[in-house]
Amino acid sequence: MLWAAVGVLVVAGLLPLASVLGGTFVVDGHVTLAFYRTVLATPHQRALLGRSVTLAGSTALAATLVGLPLGLLFARTDLPLRRTLAALSAIPLVVPPYVMAMSWFHLVGRGSWLAAHVGPAAARASSSWLFSFPGAVLVLTTTFLPVVTLLTMAFSRTVDPDLEDAARLVTDGRRVVWGVTLPLIMPGVLLGAALVFLLSLGEFGVPMFLRYDVFAVESFTRFAAFYDPRAATAAAVPLVFVAFVAVGLERVFLRERTYRFRPAVREAPAPACPLGRLRGAVFGAVALVLFVMVALPLLVLLVASRSPHTYVDALARSGDALLRSVGLAAAGATALTLVGFLTGYLIQERALGVWRSVDTLTVLLFALPGTVLGIGLVTVWNRPATAFVYATPLIIVLGYVARYAVIGSRATVSALAAIPASMDEAARLAGAGWLRRITGITVPLAARGLLVVWVLSFLFCFRDLGITMMVYPPGGDTLPVRTFTLMANGSPPLIASLSVIMVAVGLLPLGLAGLLLRRGGRGGVTRPLPACSGGSPGERPT
Amino acid sequence: MAQRSRVTAFGLLALSAAAAACRAPGPEVVVYTSEDQVFSEPILRDFEAVTGITVRAVYDTEEAKGTGVMNRLLSEKDNPQADVYWANEPVRAVLLAQEGVAAPYVSPEAKGIPERFKDPAGYWTGFSARARVIMVRTDAGDAPEPSSLLAYTDPAWAGRAVIANPLFGTTATEMAAFYALRGAGALDSLLAGMKANRVEVSTSNGESADLVCAGAYAFSVVDSDDAVARARRGCPVRIVYPDQDEGAMGTLILPNAVVLIRDGPHPEQARRLIDYLLSPETEARLARSEAAQIPLHGEVEAPEGVRPIARIRSMPVDYDRVARALWRVSPLLERWMER
Amino acid sequence: MIELSGVSKALDHRQVLQDVTLRVVAGERLVVVGASGSGKTTLLRLVAGLLMPDGGSISIAGRVVSRDGRTLVPPERRDVGMVFQDLALWPHLTMRGNLDFGLRARGMAREAREARIREMLTRVGLEGRGSARPAQLSGGERQRVALARALVLNPKVLLMDEPLSSLDDELRARMRDEILRLHEAMGFTLLYVTHNREEVSDIATRIVRIRAGRVEEAGRRSTVSPAGPRAAKLPEDPGAAAP
Repeated sequence: MLWAAVGVLVVAGLLPLASVLGGTFVVDGHVTLAFYRTVLATPHQRALLGRSVTLAGSTALAATLVGLPLGLLFARTDLPLRRTLAALSAIPLVVPPYVMAMSWFHLVGRGSWLAAHVGPAAARASSSWLFSFPGAVLVLTTTFLPVVTLLTMAFSRTVDPDLEDAARLVTDGRRVVWGVTLPLIMPGVLLGAALVFLLSLGEFGVPMFLRYDVFAVESFTRFAAFYDPRAATAAAVPLVFVAFVAVGLERVFLRERTYRFRPAVREAPAPACPLGRLRGAVFGAVALVLFVMVALPLLVLLVASRSPHTYVDALARSGDALLRSVGLAAAGATALTLVGFLTGYLIQERALGVWRSVDTLTVLLFALPGTVLGIGLVTVWNRPATAFVYATPLIIVLGYVARYAVIGSRATVSALAAIPASMDEAARLAGAGWLRRITGITVPLAARGLLVVWVLSFLFCFRDLGITMMVYPPGGDTLPVRTFTLMANGSPPLIASLSVIMVAVGLLPLGLAGLLLRRGGRGGVTRPLPACSGGSPGERPT
Repeated sequence: MAQRSRVTAFGLLALSAAAAACRAPGPEVVVYTSEDQVFSEPILRDFEAVTGITVRAVYDTEEAKGTGVMNRLLSEKDNPQADVYWANEPVRAVLLAQEGVAAPYVSPEAKGIPERFKDPAGYWTGFSARARVIMVRTDAGDAPEPSSLLAYTDPAWAGRAVIANPLFGTTATEMAAFYALRGAGALDSLLAGMKANRVEVSTSNGESADLVCAGAYAFSVVDSDDAVARARRGCPVRIVYPDQDEGAMGTLILPNAVVLIRDGPHPEQARRLIDYLLSPETEARLARSEAAQIPLHGEVEAPEGVRPIARIRSMPVDYDRVARALWRVSPLLERWMER
Repeated sequence: MIELSGVSKALDHRQVLQDVTLRVVAGERLVVVGASGSGKTTLLRLVAGLLMPDGGSISIAGRVVSRDGRTLVPPERRDVGMVFQDLALWPHLTMRGNLDFGLRARGMAREAREARIREMLTRVGLEGRGSARPAQLSGGERQRVALARALVLNPKVLLMDEPLSSLDDELRARMRDEILRLHEAMGFTLLYVTHNREEVSDIATRIVRIRAGRVEEAGRRSTVSPAGPRAAKLPEDPGAAAP
């Protein structure tokens, strides 16, 4: 089964990748580096690469600085309405980055709401700010913040309370968080930061809209202006190289560390740290951050959609695309959870000699622009013999598996690390073979983590554009693709309402996951615990 | 038990993807189109209703936001999935013919279309055109009204004009046409003048039109459908057809173009669709729609607020030449964008 | 029953066991003592097959299960039960489910499995509690379930790795009696790792100590009585056991 998962990755991802990369080294039957020389020929292009790395790094840093405390507050404190706030904070995951940029433009650009209320001079200043580096960082951070927040939440639940308890006997709650909790969850936080870095690095829609030139735009330009896939692929390779350096650093500094995670055997939820006197102030701060970063851009969309009638019109025009989106995202998420679990298991247990190559391949496929991968999929699968794949939605699901496998495998690695080895060993001694141990012991114990994988995969598949645009069967577009195409001369209220529908539908699996995860964490006996903020003792379940 | 029901629920959801793959039996035609979906989809739905042929379409995004249709057609060249390509301007159609993706077809409906808007060998046929016009605010001030592409270099308009990204779409085509007509030197002067005049660059003609409408800029060269749409929404703008004076360049006319894809899966249905698109009835519909496109059949009335084709001094371009020029000017434009 | 011949094992570049030769007779209760980190748990895991020896051979019930760095018989086929230090009870399964898991893996029919489970739960004094999950049990109950799970397949060998270390004195004493009673009834060969003097004296028919990677004989009980075996004498070595 492990080899089957590797096979799926090879077929879905490596073959298309090899076909497009191979083309960049051959012109008229001769091996050449001409495309690469062109791509990195000028100081301007090298400067663009530097700007890409700076933008991606700044976004990852900003998302971590905001997302980490948010994640801890939602997962480990008694912040009021924390579940609702956590759900709200995840909304941007469902919104395509370009739509987020458009929302901010309607909010603070020229001719915007701000211009109407504050005056043209202020609007010009805010517009200049938006159409620059800080604006690009703001929009990308807003879009990708949930990645860090959700991963922080997930990892903070795996910390063994005994480790924190031992620290609480000697110091206050803040130092416990700083000195014990944070170092233990750092692998998850850095995984989130790495994902945000990769996502920002490959993003061209937002920088292009905000007219902040970065290297990803170079690759895109080769496609859209020159119709030159080989040059476009060559232009994407430096981005992939940077991605490898980032992931390599993550592997060197984190992967070999072992942490004592809270055993998954305990069903009781992680202890809630009381905020004491600061509760109100912290709630206000969190609400303000979420209002500015999440609610405001979405309110713009709601206002722009104007009336309920627009939604009726939107559903009439795009109901079929919506159904396809949900179905394809669910199929993609299921496939990604299965392949991700197997490849994650393979990587975590080093079960096959190729585990390092598999990990590297998933990262490479994620870092590559979706359009490049899409071209590869067309090249490999558009043949009469494989029409049963290419001419059907299966090609889209294959594309999802190739592009987003890293999410499933990395999240699975983390989930498996929380399961004591003795669980599997006891099953082995009871006579169970590998498959029975996996299905009977490992999967049930990793179920919460796998649910998170499914939901994250669903969200990424649901809002995918790059791959879907390139390969969807004629007449089989998805809602994000339909919205994108309608942006050309579609009425702004229609576009806004389609975006709101996308957000609403994307929230459904998040809500479902929240319910299921909450149900799985009840039970246990409370016992007293010193407060985190130095106030009166709180209680936590055992 | 709860776990099993979760797995079942997810499995059911996944099966809906399989349902999405099921198609109704019957005749069908596959069309890839770069014409905006809001305009092209109603036409295609009508064709379905009239002929009973199911249309399966792939729509394109705005030129600076998507890479879909053209790259897809080129990638699928060896095993075409499309039957027809509906281009929103002829240069893309010419590119496809040059790449061997197109097959010749002379439709009987093309009779009423002027020769200069058709490929002589039948590799593409133009219909329902747009003009490259200047959209000017009525409160733009005392400066002489922009009446040419060269207004971008007029110091009177310094910092007050915007143009769509010249690397993409119809703006790129206009630059290539200018180069084909006036030569490299003239294009260099134009680009240098625009740089000196601090011309802003937007992502698309639609955005340029919105910026002028919002008062951020005084004028922009856009496609006529973008300008007409904003004017009809009440924006305080007027439409100027550039270079109409005697001896001037003329206005660039960019018709839609329909292409029969070589070795497409449904050639018979493809020809029927092409005939339908080239018919005066379709031109009349596109003229009446928000697309406000200029009919090329003489007997079809032009939309309100738009000059009929016969009354526009059009730029005397050979679209083949313009397509070849596009490859030469693109690196120049790219360097200009790097400013 | 168990024979180790020239077995060596290194972990994290440290030679934990070196040229270990040990023979355990069928039915024997062998207690393994030694300082922390001396290799007691490693020895158990080698016998279980959860670790592969670097050299030497291991036989169980006359069958060679590993030799020269190769595993010839995987853990699931060695007929060995184990009670882990952290008990390793599967939290998502009830007590009945924890016992049933191995029986299903062996392909036993449903009625036979249920009968066996009832029998084992009765043996460990937990009849009627089969539908409880591990989180709902007390410490002693969890111990007994872990023991029942290890014995439900009637293994020839039972390995116990400091199984009573987290229990209070009274419970520990009761569990020791439980283990002895089950041993008497079922006749398995027991390898038992502990630091506790009382456990050593109550349980062992023979004691070995691991020191510097090698196994030394450390004591033997001269008679074994079901009513209350006399304690084997421990050597006066402070490293041998902790109170």
